[in-house]
Amino acid sequence: MSKAPALVVEGLTTEFRIGGAWYPAVRNVSFSLARNETLALVGESGCGKSITALSIIGLVPKANGRVTSGRVLLDGRDLLRLDEAAMEKIRGNRIAMIFQEPMTSLNPVLPVGFQVAEALRYHTDLSPKAARERALQLLQHVKIPSAARRFDDFPHQFSGGMRQRVMIAMALACGPAVMLADEPTTALDVTIQAQVLALLAELKSETGMAMIFITHNLGVVASIADRVAVMYAGDIVELATVEELFAAPLHPYTEALLYSIPRVDRDAVDLKPIPGQVPPITAMPAGCRYAARCPYKMARCEREVPPLVAPAGAGGHLGRCWVRAGDGAGGHA
Amino acid sequence: MTAVMTAPRPGFWIRLRTTILRHKIASLGAALVALVALAAMLAPWLSPHDPLEQNVVLRLMGPSADNPLGTDSFGRDILSRILWGGRVSLLVSTSAVGLAIVIGGALGLLAGYIGGAFDRVTMAAMDVLLSFPTLVMGLLVVAMLGPTVANLILAITLTAIAPFARIARAPTLAVKERDFVEAGRALGFSNLRIMGIHILPNIVDEILVMASLWLATAIRTEASLSFIGLGVRPPTATWGGMIREGFENILDSPWLAIFPSLAILVIMLGLNMLGDGLRDATDPRLRHE
Repeated sequence: MSKAPALVVEGLTTEFRIGGAWYPAVRNVSFSLARNETLALVGESGCGKSITALSIIGLVPKANGRVTSGRVLLDGRDLLRLDEAAMEKIRGNRIAMIFQEPMTSLNPVLPVGFQVAEALRYHTDLSPKAARERALQLLQHVKIPSAARRFDDFPHQFSGGMRQRVMIAMALACGPAVMLADEPTTALDVTIQAQVLALLAELKSETGMAMIFITHNLGVVASIADRVAVMYAGDIVELATVEELFAAPLHPYTEALLYSIPRVDRDAVDLKPIPGQVPPITAMPAGCRYAARCPYKMARCEREVPPLVAPAGAGGHLGRCWVRAGDGAGGHA
Repeated sequence: MTAVMTAPRPGFWIRLRTTILRHKIASLGAALVALVALAAMLAPWLSPHDPLEQNVVLRLMGPSADNPLGTDSFGRDILSRILWGGRVSLLVSTSAVGLAIVIGGALGLLAGYIGGAFDRVTMAAMDVLLSFPTLVMGLLVVAMLGPTVANLILAITLTAIAPFARIARAPTLAVKERDFVEAGRALGFSNLRIMGIHILPNIVDEILVMASLWLATAIRTEASLSFIGLGVRPPTATWGGMIREGFENILDSPWLAIFPSLAILVIMLGLNMLGDGLRDATDPRLRHE
């Protein structure tokens, strides 16, 4: 990374209140993102992927959630220190988010073109007419067929894939530096999923924006990501380039995830589900959070939390495991 | 009503028109309402006589060519007085319901959106308002402040704020949890914009149904207050006042009370039919038949 990174997250910790006590849902998460780079956040439901994204964009529900520490640096500013008014200027403008459910993420009573133009008018000085023209260009850019004719159509007249394209056009409207994509293809058919992924990749390299792509689908990760952060129970347990991760997974959890992908070239009986469950947020074990499900566990694993370190000779490949990465000095059993 | 209808909702009027036209009872109701509203608006041109012109020689006459609906005890033309009285009824009721929609709707939207203590305090205040029967509130305000058109509007507005606050709050609670509100936040929209542009158009259906039903209530309240002598002062023609005057001669000249009662009946029937039709049309269970 020769240039300044587009986004730096340092020591991000987000807590939620359950029954009067605060429990961390995301713990001390750090990563940086270069321009034109895609980082995939991977993990099973409830591991803190979405909360990480919501913390970055400042949308953690205030009623029972709070970001307790860390920094999120964008354009030289720490987003966590900004007030709500300043954050509103950044959201949708410098940092945008697309969501999992295209069917419900558009307002059903407003025409789609209006909704795309609205983001533009809100963040720029464009006249209504200029915003409309720009919105039409954006809809054409995300490959909505006969966009001009469909500009004033309502969301229910669009298919799921088309709606997700509209959402992408809205997120792209102001040319954000960072795009947060929270499972944007999970609700779509496989063929549409591939089209949307290709579109996202294309738009990313065109605009040079950085993207955080949240998914639980490792197949999607392989096709879109440059680097991967695997999350488990609120921690990043492994951080590596996509090639390294698939070739030589370091953390036993990553390894287990890779074994649980169905593949056409293997028998279904080879699938290995991961036994057990993610520990609840209110009862985290003292040591490694994965220890209870780990086939390689040692005595130390249940006592001490392993650090996120690179084992000797692994380059920048980080893992959080006593067995595989040890203290970062080559690992000793 | 205008405040809600100016909400930016392209195609709203077209949608409303199709909704009404598709529903037989609603279109009949709309026609009745339009008939009465037009008659009242065009009163200066439609009236055969001055509504205040007295003619002692022609008092308590039955329907005739010159006085199609007869004359009252001062010899004033009943038809002219009904047409002019409609102006008072419609002015008072639409102003009161319009104000109640703006104030009550805004309170309900805010309470539902903000939630928490603001919601609880606002809705408790609404419950206090609701505990006054419409007529009692009208009596209270008019007796204290005097029987003017402005005070009548104030009295009816006060009783209608709470129902509109409730009808706006309930769907707001549901709509604010929907994904497009979260998506709007992710685009940096302020709370005001989310409420005004994204939530309001989604709850306007319910408010509209309520408005047509409350217009009927407001007309009835105005007539009731006029009937007991707390409405606009005579000699200004009001439907309620005319029924009261006719009541004194009900045995020998029944048309004095019957014709203004028919006017009230027609507009109330029209508004209720329109309201029921709109409710059927916006009921999610019936929407996609």
